[in-house]
This record gives sequence, C-alpha cells and structure tokens, in this order.
Amino acid sequence: MATVTSLLLFVLCASFGLSFSDSGQENSFESVPDLEKSMYMHVDGYPCVRVLNLSGEIGCSNPSREKVVAPIVRYKSADELLKSAAVLVSIDEFEILLSRLSKDLDFAGKVAGILVESRTEVSNGLKGFSPDGKFPQAEFAPYQSNNFTWNPPGSGIMWKAYNFPVFLLSRTSTLILQEVVMKNEKTKKSNTENVAEFNVVMQTTKSGTHDSDSCLKEETCLPLGGYSVWSALPPINISSSQKSKPVIVTMTSMDSASFFRDKSLGADSPISGLITLLAAVDALSYLDGLDELNKQLVFVVLTGESWGYLGTRRFVLEADQHSDSVRGLDFAMIETVMEIGSVGKGLSNGVKTFYSHTSGDTLATNETFQALLRAQDSLKTESIKISMASTSNPGVPPSSLMTFLRKKSQISGVVLEDFDTSFTNKFYHSHLDDLSNVNSSAIVTAASLVARTLYLLANDQNASAINAINVNASLVEELLGCLLNCKPGSSCELMKHYISPSATCPSHYVGVILGEPSSVPYPAYVSDVSRFVWNFLASKTSIFSRNITSACPNDCNGVGELCIREEADGKGICVISTTRYVPAYSTRLKYESGSWTVLPYNSSEEMSAADPVWTESNWDTISLRVYKVQNTAYDGLILLSGIVVTVLTYLLILITRAFIRKALKWD
Amino acid sequence: MENSVKGDGLMVPKNLQPFKPFSRSNTRSTAFESTGIGYTLLALGPSLSLFIAVIAKKPFLILTLLSSTLVWLISLIVLSGLWRAFLPFKTGSLWPCTLIILTSVAFQEALRPLFWKIYKRLEDILDAFADRVSKPRLFITDKMQIALAGGMGHGVAHAVFFCLSLLTPAFGPGTYYVEKCSQMSFFLVSAVIALAFVTIHTLSMVIAFNGYAEGNKVDQYFVPAVHLIAAMLTLVNLAQGGCIIGIPLLYIMALLTMGHCGKMVWRRLTEIRSRQGSSF
Repeated sequence: MATVTSLLLFVLCASFGLSFSDSGQENSFESVPDLEKSMYMHVDGYPCVRVLNLSGEIGCSNPSREKVVAPIVRYKSADELLKSAAVLVSIDEFEILLSRLSKDLDFAGKVAGILVESRTEVSNGLKGFSPDGKFPQAEFAPYQSNNFTWNPPGSGIMWKAYNFPVFLLSRTSTLILQEVVMKNEKTKKSNTENVAEFNVVMQTTKSGTHDSDSCLKEETCLPLGGYSVWSALPPINISSSQKSKPVIVTMTSMDSASFFRDKSLGADSPISGLITLLAAVDALSYLDGLDELNKQLVFVVLTGESWGYLGTRRFVLEADQHSDSVRGLDFAMIETVMEIGSVGKGLSNGVKTFYSHTSGDTLATNETFQALLRAQDSLKTESIKISMASTSNPGVPPSSLMTFLRKKSQISGVVLEDFDTSFTNKFYHSHLDDLSNVNSSAIVTAASLVARTLYLLANDQNASAINAINVNASLVEELLGCLLNCKPGSSCELMKHYISPSATCPSHYVGVILGEPSSVPYPAYVSDVSRFVWNFLASKTSIFSRNITSACPNDCNGVGELCIREEADGKGICVISTTRYVPAYSTRLKYESGSWTVLPYNSSEEMSAADPVWTESNWDTISLRVYKVQNTAYDGLILLSGIVVTVLTYLLILITRAFIRKALKWD
Repeated sequence: MENSVKGDGLMVPKNLQPFKPFSRSNTRSTAFESTGIGYTLLALGPSLSLFIAVIAKKPFLILTLLSSTLVWLISLIVLSGLWRAFLPFKTGSLWPCTLIILTSVAFQEALRPLFWKIYKRLEDILDAFADRVSKPRLFITDKMQIALAGGMGHGVAHAVFFCLSLLTPAFGPGTYYVEKCSQMSFFLVSAVIALAFVTIHTLSMVIAFNGYAEGNKVDQYFVPAVHLIAAMLTLVNLAQGGCIIGIPLLYIMALLTMGHCGKMVWRRLTEIRSRQGSSF
C-alpha cells in the first residue's frame, strides 16, 4: 500500500507535478481508488420509491432499467429547459414544480429527475408542507363529509405517480450540489458539465407489472405491513376462572409516511402519541395494587395506519377469528377506547392545550371526559386546558379510532389530540415533521393526563392513589432522542437495553412484511421500533416469574411466560407478561405457500372496498452519483486522435525504414 | 447515511426492504471505454506501431524489449521505494518535487551505462556465436534495432508507470479536470506527456548506445541532459495554466531528440556507405 502511495507521489511529481487543489483546498490522493472516489461522488439522499395499489401506482422510479444521467440545473420558474436535465429545487418550490409538470407536458418531458434541497436553518419561512391530502384517508371515515379539511397544507403529491426519480438531499449533499450547480452555470460554454446519475430502478417497472395484483403474482413486489404490539397491564391470566373484567383499550400508532421513503419521522403524527403511551405505561407500572383495579387496562400500538389502517383492520379481523395473537383479549368486554393522537404540539402561550374528540355512546365518553378533567385538576402545578372538540367537526379526525368504530360501532371512543378543527401540525406526513416540530413538555403533560385518566377510569373514578402516578420526564426526553434523532438514534442506551437495533437513524415508514405473518415472527423480520415497543411494554407490564438469573429462551415456556431482552444481552429475562405481536397487513391479502395472493372482493367486509392493497416494488440498489462528463464529440475526438497518432507513426516508421534501406543499398 | 443495503454505502436503510435482488441488465458501456482506449492509444499507440513494424519480426528484439521494460520498471519501483521514507509531503510543492526529479533522473542515467555494458557483453557473445557458425556478424542496423528495442522498453515502462496506472477511472463515464490545467482533462495531459517521454526514451537509447560505441562525448552527454531538461520541464505544470506552456516545450525536446537521432543515424549510415564504397 505504501509502495503504491510512494509510486503515485512519484508519479504526481516526476511526470507532471500537478497539484490537486480544488477551490483553494489541497486534495491529496493516496491512490487511484481515491481519485476514482473523488471523480464519481456518491451523494447522500433519501429516495422516493414506487408503491403500487390495486388500480395503479404512485411514487417515483427510473423510467426503464437504465440509469438516468442528466446535467444538474437549478429550478427557476421562468426558465424553459433546453434539454433533459436533473432539476435542483428548494422545498418551497417543490410543490410548484410538481404542479407545473402536470400542466406543462413539454417541460415535463425534459425533466429527467428532481433533487430536493434540505431545509437549511435560514429558510425557516416555510409555512406548511404536507404531501398528503386535505382529508387523509377520507375513504375510511365513518361519516360522509369528505370535503372537510383536516389538513389545510395538504397537496396530495405523494399519491401521484411520477415517471422519474426524485431524491431528497441531506444537509451536506445540499451544499455540495449547490456548488456543483454554480459550477455548471459558470462553465456553460465549455465542453464539460456536471451530471447526476440516478439509479432508482424498480423491479415492477422492469417487469411491466403496474398494479398490486400482477406484481404480487410475479413476485416483483411485497405488501406493506409490519407488526403491531399489544400488552395488558396487569398481565391477563387466561387460565384463571375469574370473570373477565371490562377492558379499557388505549391505542396509538407507530408508523408515519412521507414523500421520501426513508425520511418519515412523523414526530408529531404519531410518534408523540407513541411516546405518550410508553411514558404513561411506565408511570402506571409503578402503581401498587394493579390487580385490584376494577377494569383491565390494555395498550395497543398499531402500525401500518398510514396505508389504509392496516394495523387496526387486521387487529379487528384477528379478534373476530379468535386467533392466537389476540388470545386473552375479549372484544366483547371492551368498554371504552382511548386513542392518543398527535399531542406534541399541544403548547400554546405556555398553556398545554388538548382536545378530546369523541364518538359513540355519549354516557361512556362523558365519563372519560370527566376523568380527563379530574386528571387535569390533580396536576395542580401545570397550566393545562382540556376541551371537547368543536361540534362543527363532522366526527373524529383521521385516526385508528375512525376505522375501529366502523368495525365495532357499539364501542365508545375518545381521541386525544393537540388540535380542534384542523391539524396544528403543518408538516403532516412530510419529512419536515421532525424533532423541532414537537415540544417535550406537551408530551410529558399528555402522558401524565393519560396515565391518571386511565387510573381513574379503571378505578371507577376513585382517586386515592392518583398522586403516586408521575411521568418520568427524562424517559420522555430519552425516547425523543431515540426515536426522532440520528444522534443517538436507535443506538441510544434505552433502546440498546432492550434490543440490538439494525439501523441508527430512525425512520417510521412501515416497510414491507417479510416472510409469513404470524404472532411469533422471526425477529429479523420485525422492525426496530416494533421490537423495542414489544420489549419495553413486556418489561413494564411484567411480573417476574422466577429468579432473575435464569436465562431464556431455553427455560421460558410456561403459561404466560415471555423471554424479553433476548437480543440485547445475549441472554434474556423470563417474565410473565401478556404482550403479543399482531401482524398488520391488508385484510385482502393472504399468504400461501411462499407467496401473496389478493383475495377477491368480499362485500361483507365493509372497508375492503376502500382498501387499495398497497405494495412496494422490489429494488436492488438505489443510489445517486454526481460526476463531470465531457461531451461525446470531445470523447470521439480523443479516440480519433489516438488512432491517428498510431497510424501516422506506423507510416513514419515504414517511410524511415524504406529510406534507410535505400540508403544502404545505394551502390 | 450509514445504513446501506449494498456495498457502496449511502442511501436506503436496511429497514425491512424487499431483499429479493433481481439481476439488472447490462448498463450501456460502449461510450466510455472509447475514451479510455483513446488515451491508451495516445500514450502507447506509437509504441504499438513500432512493435508491429520493427520488433515483432525478430524474436531477439522482443526479448530485448521485454527485459528492458522489466529492468526500467524495476528501477522506477526501487526509486519509489527509496522515496517512500520521505512520505508524506505536500504534493505539488516545488522543492520536494525538484529533488525527486533530480534523484530519479540521476539514478536512471547511472543505470544506462550499466545497461550498455550488459549489452556489450551480449553483443560479444552473439558475434562469437556468429563466427562459429560462419554467419555474418551484427550489422550496424541490427545494433541500432537492439538499441531501439531497449529504448522502447524504457519508454513503455515510463508510460505504464506514469500513465496507464492512472487510466482506470477514465474507462468510466466521468472525467477529471485539475484546477491548474482547466483546458485539458487530467487523463489527456497524462497521456500526452507520456507520449513525449516514450519518444524521448526510445530514441535516447539509440543515441546513447551509439555514443558509448563510438566514444562520442556529445552523444553521451546529450542523452542525460535531454532527460533532465524534459523532466524539469514538467515542473512548469505546477503553475496555474502551466500546462499550456510546459507541454509544447516538452514536445520541442522530443523533436530535438528525434532530430539528433536522425542526424546521428544518417551520419553513421553514410560513413558505412562511404567505407563500403571505398573498399571497392
């Protein structure tokens, strides 16, 4: 290696001593691979991928199996594109660009790919950006008013199909590409230009399968889905002869969506709700006498909710089928459902403001609201305001409860949100719904409210031990760091305590369901967040069954016994807990002998008409490179000159040889 | 992003992606290789022509070429090994570069007389053998051809070491331009300079061998001088836009070598002709 180094330095100096300085900076290469790496610059980014449904496709892809190569230009609305180009656009103008593409076909034909800049600190003036619609998932609503605008900034761009690749650039690559574009503009006349090479080749594009049915048959795609988790506090004793208690279900979701597959953080919607639920469970777990509560508390964390409420629908279906994954949970005993929606923005003018959206039996929901108010009163040191949602709303906002109610309309439910008539989250289902979009004190307060409300409801409004329920604010901070930030991300202490994460930067896109869906899935097929939630809930709701020192999974097969923290330390802890995975995937899909089939439309399942059966195309690698190219005429000239030099030399040698021979034979 | 599915980093997290990789069709490759081949031909095309026209016909010359290439490659490797001790230093800075060039030229030029001595012994062996089998001895043109093969070995070693080894990235779609020479791509500059040096080295050996054979001091000093000047001329490229001046100057040296070699060959041939003529 060092010989190569010295070789190269020798080369550099002795033959032409060129110094590789780029804009004043000394780039010294130590080897030819270094040179190659600097020539072909890999760019960090988040792609938009091809997602299909029963009637077609959405998302982005390379138009064929080839890589897309195009020079990079900046988007200026007044400009016309002279030739095919990769357009660099800021997030402010992204929606404008996309709408122009649908109107101006000539312009659209010249756009080879789009690069979206990351929001820098300076341009914080963006008022709102949401690629989802104005009423997300309206087709699942239990009421008719589909024109109601829950999401005012919604543009609906993520539900359209684009025939070119789109990338969201990271902060560093945004700066790099801005420089590249400037260089391109400066050297317009020369024979080189900087191009971007997009490699977003989707298997469904290659194989010509453009909807879920055909692509699942050809196995060029996989259905969206994951694993929801439910847990009971205290653990349910199935074999017990006691009459089962009425159940209070608290639910939330853990998945989000965005235009860019890998940047779906969903900080406010719904991760703030997830953190609230986890913190509330933690607070309640320290309570004494959980067994003596009159009602059973059950916590459900659903996934796949952004893609047709896969979690809820499958959960309800499994309950109807009395399957293994929901064993112990009797739907007939469910008294009330509380959903924790987006609560991260519930802070206005120093007052923590939350709204209770209700549906169903007014008596039961009133009781819940009363419990909320009493919980609010018990938290004397904070300024909190809880109100009922406005009666001008057509019903509950887009939420898992919406779907739950369509299936089980007799159950009453409450959704706790930080908004009244329209989302306060201006970046719903976008990559900008990140840590800066939520407030940790709002989440801590919401968790306290939820925990105390649940206690009151389970204890028949008897508030004896209510002041013992306190939410750990540092747990909330830690969860925010683990779930919504790249540092520390999934390798934070808290998550590593329970699982060994496969990635560091969090992303809450539901992903595809791998292998056969079951209530005891292979851990590698379950996402980091699902595994973390399962282990966390199991740990918090557990009773130690035996000596802590016994290691599982070998010995842990008793009734109600689970092995938790198995991945983290290599040896798990055996506990008694009722915590299960429930697969979350479309109710219109069936996994049979290694492949997926779409079941025919069953009119008895009410929402299957509205279910699009989302699948994601398979892909090999997705990458983005930037490099400088010379125009083909110049390249051809070089080849020609090489050939000419060779031929001329040959002729010269022949002439010289003839000359010498003649000179020698002169006689 | 650090969570990559495939080897070349970046992009998508392993996040439960369909891991059913499908085979991609071959990406179009024709356009790029042509540039790489172009650069290779620029640097080594004339050597190829010379090989086909002169050297390929005589096995002995092929052997000479191969061993000469080997010897000079080893000399360059030894030099880089020696300079390894002084790493790292700022590339492109004047004094270290000058020092490297001076020592390298000195080393190679010291090697040349050694090369000549080995050749001389070989020539004696061949002549003795020819006498024994009653075949004619080595004629002047044969000796020049051997020298030419030796020189070509030196030139090819230089081209391989200084140009070909850097050309791999040129076979891809991209190119590379250096700040200080924005008119031509890095690879083009490298190929053009390599061509000049191939010419200089090939013909220098002919001149040098003749100088040693005749005891002609002019020829003997001409070769190291030209080598040194040509090598120092490459330092001009360190300046901004220097390659515009440096490369033509380098070609002037190559033409000078060509001219001197031609003159020398013509002189020797006319001498022999007149000697032959006078013997009749």
